[in-house]
Amino acid sequence: MVKIFLDGGPVEVVEGTTVFKAAQRAGIAIPHFCYHPAFVPEGSCRLCLVEIEGSPKLELSCSMVVREGMKVSTQSPAVREARRAVLEFILAEHPLDCPICDKAGECKLQDYYQDYGLTESVFREFKEKREKKVRIGDQLILDRERCVLCTRCVRFLAEITKTHELGLFERGIHSEIGGYENEPVRNGYSGNLVDLCPVGAITDTEFRFKTRSWFLTKGESICPLCSRGCNIFIDYHPGFPRVAGSAKVYRIRPRTNEAVNGPWICDHGRYGYVDLQRKNRCEKLIWNKGPGSTTELSWDKALIVIGEKIKALRENGKTGRISLILTTWLTNEELFLIKKIFKDGLGVRNVSFADPAPGTEDGFLLRADRTPNRRGAREMGFEVKPVDLDVLARDSDILFIFGSSLAGGSNDGAWKAALEKVSVKILVTAHLNELASAADFVLPASSVAEKSGTLTNADGRIQRIAAIARACGDIRPEVQILLDLAREIHLDDAYFGALTGPEEVHRELAKDIPFFGARP
Amino acid sequence: METKVLTKGFELDHLFRIGVYLDQGGYRAVKKALTEWKPEQVLDEVKKANLRGRGGAGFPAGLKWSFVPQKTDKAKYLCVNADEGEPGTFKDRYIMAHDPHLLIEGIILAAYAVGIHTAYIYIRGEYELIARRLEGAIGDAYAKGYLGKNILGVGFDLDLYVHRGAGAYICGEETGLLESLEGKRGNPRLKPPFPASVGLFQSPTVINNVETLANVPFIVLNGAAWFLERGSPKDGGTRIFGVSGAVNKPGIYELPVGTSLREIIFDHAGGLKPGRTLKAVIPGGMSSPVFKADEVDVKMDCDCVAAAGSMLGSGAIIVIDDRTPILDVLSKVAKFYAHESCGQCTPCRLGTSWIHKIVKRMAAGKGRADDVDGLIRLSANIKGRTLCPLGDAAALPVLAIAKKFKAELQTALKGSA
Repeated sequence: MVKIFLDGGPVEVVEGTTVFKAAQRAGIAIPHFCYHPAFVPEGSCRLCLVEIEGSPKLELSCSMVVREGMKVSTQSPAVREARRAVLEFILAEHPLDCPICDKAGECKLQDYYQDYGLTESVFREFKEKREKKVRIGDQLILDRERCVLCTRCVRFLAEITKTHELGLFERGIHSEIGGYENEPVRNGYSGNLVDLCPVGAITDTEFRFKTRSWFLTKGESICPLCSRGCNIFIDYHPGFPRVAGSAKVYRIRPRTNEAVNGPWICDHGRYGYVDLQRKNRCEKLIWNKGPGSTTELSWDKALIVIGEKIKALRENGKTGRISLILTTWLTNEELFLIKKIFKDGLGVRNVSFADPAPGTEDGFLLRADRTPNRRGAREMGFEVKPVDLDVLARDSDILFIFGSSLAGGSNDGAWKAALEKVSVKILVTAHLNELASAADFVLPASSVAEKSGTLTNADGRIQRIAAIARACGDIRPEVQILLDLAREIHLDDAYFGALTGPEEVHRELAKDIPFFGARP
Repeated sequence: METKVLTKGFELDHLFRIGVYLDQGGYRAVKKALTEWKPEQVLDEVKKANLRGRGGAGFPAGLKWSFVPQKTDKAKYLCVNADEGEPGTFKDRYIMAHDPHLLIEGIILAAYAVGIHTAYIYIRGEYELIARRLEGAIGDAYAKGYLGKNILGVGFDLDLYVHRGAGAYICGEETGLLESLEGKRGNPRLKPPFPASVGLFQSPTVINNVETLANVPFIVLNGAAWFLERGSPKDGGTRIFGVSGAVNKPGIYELPVGTSLREIIFDHAGGLKPGRTLKAVIPGGMSSPVFKADEVDVKMDCDCVAAAGSMLGSGAIIVIDDRTPILDVLSKVAKFYAHESCGQCTPCRLGTSWIHKIVKRMAAGKGRADDVDGLIRLSANIKGRTLCPLGDAAALPVLAIAKKFKAELQTALKGSA
């Protein structure tokens, strides 16, 4: 361990630590543009300068390694003046288009100007004119006037994805970021450039001009679009009145977890998540009474009607003719309730899974398994096997389908024909597709952003998701739907009556199955 | 005492041919060192000679060599900085054009001293003819067994290559040079690590200026004491001063380190044209702070010039007389550094450009009363805060001109306001 003095206070850090990291550990924030913990220090922005006793010049905290007894000042007048001067240089050529800049409110340059600048401009010259709308990727727009040339984007593509789509061109004041032969940034991780950019130079077409950062609230969650379970922030409008429908999640950003995803997420998750939340949402209960006859339904009535049908089978001792098509999109708690109600309570045996087809693993974060909880389903005791349509058609009187992945495959005709033979089909889904018209009852369920629970990633890490966005219309979380159903058919009133939400369900799960015993 | 050492043979015809060079006693230093001396002896002798870098920074060459780790698994490299980009500097080209084997001999000796088996001459792109001449000389040296495998039968190998730059001042900065030599954009590297430990291709590397290496054969032949006698005690030997500007006889002058600046201008370079008076002198290439006419009684060695508030740099002396408006000088300085800043770090990229914009406006007759103070403030904000020395190289001359010639600049502004 090495002991140094930061602004007078002693701090002990491991040998080889940089002054920047030592300060961070001590809770002292040092401004920076080019430094990023995932990259080799570059030392070009010159904002992280600090004063070190005995050193004739200000030193870079991002690359300076601590020495025993080093006395560092991060706030001396010389340091503050140097930072002010750097900001003055940048602001001299920076467009003041904050009012229309998507980064406003979360822009490092704005923040640092508040901390160190707040001086009037003495720049009397003409600002450089540069391109403000360069398409550098499918979702990426580069504004060269806003760019502070920290080269984080270039280094991300060089050091992390190793795809090298962007480089530095020209020199001096004319230096600019650009692509080679105008090849777009397309590597499955392009969205990270937007998060990395400390200013509004790289913006996301999916987010551009849609909202202001200060209207957004961030919630912590887990990306459900593959079995890695990347940790994410969900940025959403907490019920902003002018926003109609369920379009409340604006963007997804990585939440650093070195054990899972580091500071990155893939584009499949980033853009897929927002789509999950926005597109083809199922918001109303539907009762398809017969060809051409569709009725809206209340939850109370739906539960009574469905409950009656289950009870009728139970009275005849034929609950074995209930079939389930599940999905590994379901949370641990939902799967546990399904197990408790259908497998243990009603003796259902015909359980299969319909999941999206696996994709290709990209060797970095994205896994081939494109659902978040296959490991959880397995640990729960489910055999995650595909649907056997013949068995389904033969052995089912009532079929519960969770999720809508059964449709959309290549065997479209086959599942339709099989479903025809089942008399009652209940679809519990967050998204509408063809499956909805083939079901008798369609129950609108929460999207991942609207419900709480846990997911088990491929490595067995149990991670929590939280209900962040408010559900619209008749949408209810699956846990509530399942508990209501259990109460409706009076399965085990003492047991299910005591469960009110995912928290209690998880507690029961943890008691029942040792794998889930450790609370995330 | 004969002053000319490096340039002594320049008047000979075809000295660049190896036959002529050998007739003049060429490669004797290599023979002596490789057959009679251990590598450490060469290093020690150069250290004792207080040979300081002729490229600009004036760093002691022997000390630089000694920073290279002796035991390493990696290949070690020698890079010869022949980029000669500092405005006003034109000395290395003479050495390489007239006496390329002297440089090659110096390279062999340095490589032998440090245990290097691969060397590169990074030469500025404009020196096309000289590059070809160097390549010819290298070919001859290979043919005669002074380069290649098992030199002089002593088991020492050295390969030497010429690499032409593409016209960027920043590639004369040692780490910018390394990047460029590796085939990358010539952006300087963050130091530490220094090239002596992590240099070319991530390996220990020595980078020396052409003139620095050209001195080494004489040190080996004549000894450190002889070399020191010819210069200052802490800064040995002679230097090739390149005098340009408002003098009667511009050109290169090889003189003992420590010769007075006044003597160089008025005795050697023929003084000023009739009727003109001295206004200012830039003593060591454009990046060195300017001296006023009354500051030229300074001994031209690294320490004395530094004590006088400037730097000996590359020894390129630019003489400015009373006919030249100082604003013109400032315009050249500002334009050059704004053009040559690599753009990597903030203060240099934006500071040099801002300064250039102000100076351009002043030159266009649209100056403002606070412009000179603005230049002083901006250059002070660049100084000492950039990633590589280019920031200081740009800031210091502006700072010096703005401070020392404030009155003249202010007068120029009044005329334009």
